Amino acid sequence: MGTVSRCVLACVCVAIVGVAYVWQKNQIYRLGDDLKKREAIVSAAEKRNTMLAAQLAQLQSPGLLEARCRQYGLGLVAPREQQIVRLPEPGPEWDVRLLVPVTSPAPAPAPSAKKSATRTVARR
Amino acid sequence: MITGTHKTRALIVMTTLSLCFTALGGRLVQLHVLRHEELSGQAAANRGLVIKRQGRRGEVRDCNGNLLANSQSVRIVCADPSITAAHAGATAAKLSPLLNMDAAALQTRLNGPGKYVRLKQKVDEETAQQIRALKLKGVFFEDQYLRTYPQGSLASHVVGFVDADHKGVQGIEAAMEQYLAGVAGYEVIERDRKGREIRALRAEGIEPRDGYHVVLTMDQVIQHIAETELEKAMGEFRPRAGLIIVSRPKTGEILAMSNRPTFDPNNAGRATADARRNRCISDVAEPGSTFKIVNIAGALNDSTIRLSDVFHCENGAFLYGGRILHDAHPYGPLTVEQILFKSSNIGAAKIALKMGTPRLYEYIRRFGFGRKTGIGLPGEVSGIVHAPNHWTKLSITRIPMGHEIAVTPIQMLMAMNAIANGGKLMKPLIIKRVVDADGRAVVEPPPQQVGQPISPAATALMTTALRRVPMPDGTAPKAAVDGFDAAGKTGTAQKIENGQYVRKYYSSFVGYLPSPDPEISILVSLDDPSGGTYYGGSVAGPVFRRVAEKIVEYLGISPQQPLTHSRQVASAR
Repeated sequence: MGTVSRCVLACVCVAIVGVAYVWQKNQIYRLGDDLKKREAIVSAAEKRNTMLAAQLAQLQSPGLLEARCRQYGLGLVAPREQQIVRLPEPGPEWDVRLLVPVTSPAPAPAPSAKKSATRTVARR
Repeated sequence: MITGTHKTRALIVMTTLSLCFTALGGRLVQLHVLRHEELSGQAAANRGLVIKRQGRRGEVRDCNGNLLANSQSVRIVCADPSITAAHAGATAAKLSPLLNMDAAALQTRLNGPGKYVRLKQKVDEETAQQIRALKLKGVFFEDQYLRTYPQGSLASHVVGFVDADHKGVQGIEAAMEQYLAGVAGYEVIERDRKGREIRALRAEGIEPRDGYHVVLTMDQVIQHIAETELEKAMGEFRPRAGLIIVSRPKTGEILAMSNRPTFDPNNAGRATADARRNRCISDVAEPGSTFKIVNIAGALNDSTIRLSDVFHCENGAFLYGGRILHDAHPYGPLTVEQILFKSSNIGAAKIALKMGTPRLYEYIRRFGFGRKTGIGLPGEVSGIVHAPNHWTKLSITRIPMGHEIAVTPIQMLMAMNAIANGGKLMKPLIIKRVVDADGRAVVEPPPQQVGQPISPAATALMTTALRRVPMPDGTAPKAAVDGFDAAGKTGTAQKIENGQYVRKYYSSFVGYLPSPDPEISILVSLDDPSGGTYYGGSVAGPVFRRVAEKIVEYLGISPQQPLTHSRQVASAR
């Protein structure tokens, strides 16, 4: 390879490195801008979230819900005591009965009131 | 051919160029070497900027995660009058409808001296976007956090509020300042010629840390029930003030704490100091007959008396120490149980005389009177309990009926809780936990027993007697909760004004249900009710019943007995 060719090759290499450097710098700046925009979007979303959380809390406040129920005559009330059926919570004695094979049906379970807690379900 | 003239000209040009380059080089040396420090500092100052970032203040939530306080990011609209002065009129005309401000006033500020003026604070993001779209020269924004309380006045005395610098002033906001306040951070940035950040050149920085969130033991629904019923009582009896506290006796957790008068923490500055005061912890008053639980429980614990022991109540007038002690109704012989549920002052005094001063004082202290409960809210006071060496001869007959002593409502409730809870005196608990942004618990205070004033056996005897109070022969039949065995004690304490007892009263009721294994305890106190009736059983008793009925429904506590028809009808409504 002649001297001229070597010089040309060296120049080309230098040019390529230069262009790559500039391209990379440009990419870094673009990426920076992109990051900045996304940071702004995230920040705006967070701000909006906090605002919406406060709005939601306000809308869910018992006082407002009660007022709305009255305003629109929705008739939403807590279930009445006679509409509530309290079932005994299955205790250890129930587990034993469940293990009994189907072929020999066990008598209807009668859990002890002392041992079993109660759970509440609402009926219409 | 190069002549001498050419050489001369070339020399002149070369010399001139050399001089120019020398001057240029000299200037460069001056700028880059000799004035390097000064000029590089100036350049950095022009390009660089240190931005302080404030961490967002933490939220306050109830035990179910309902939001009670949070911080929202809003904007401050600012202007540089040195730029806006040139077109102040047009700028003011555009900003006026968006900021809802008078255009003339805006124009004056945009024309003012200096380089910085705040046009409006607490501007929401939407409005800020609209202003930004106008591309007004010299108008810019600053970030600001705004503390909001979405529930308004609900639990305002507990949650508290912050000052203009976003620092807690009252309630949880002040008590938990170290957790709620975030840690500030900073960023060192470089700007382009338009002042925009060059993100790629961000040099260094520390991220701000948002404040921790505080979760309370309070339940916003129970708080709402307490506030609604207190408001009704305020309308019905027109007292000067009123309060309701709801707690769990077994753990000391405070489920609700409501005060009247009240205030909206979103506009705390507009409220009077009287309205902002949390009377549940900062007001002391003579407790009246509710205090009888202390000496009778103490005497039962010491086996000085039994429930069946009989004391003669002197037909309503007992002369002791040269002064006559009266009962509201004249009674003859009464058992200890009757003394408690009929609230005989003379009977309580005679029991105290049998106990003796040292034991009475001992039980007053054991039940936590005369010292702060440690609820952790600012403004709590200890109450007033005089040492026995300051007692007069009459004191032993007056203190058992709640005179010559001053207690806070929270102390009274905690004492009753001890009786409800097998004698275990619990510390009131208002903080359920402190969590970070990811919901991990940073602090989780457990229920704390601070004493055992009386034995479980003595509390069982007390409960037996206290269950008679809301019965027809007790002092508070109107406090009876249908379907439940409630236990409690009424109090009607005469107020003192200018050192004299006056015909004004504190009417109170403190009780718990379902007994003997209580889930909730409630204290109701109304300051100076009007309308003719002032007895605790008639004024505070019905409020207790209404609050209790709603809370047991809300918590799904099974009735101990079938409901009566009237309650079923009321419930259906």
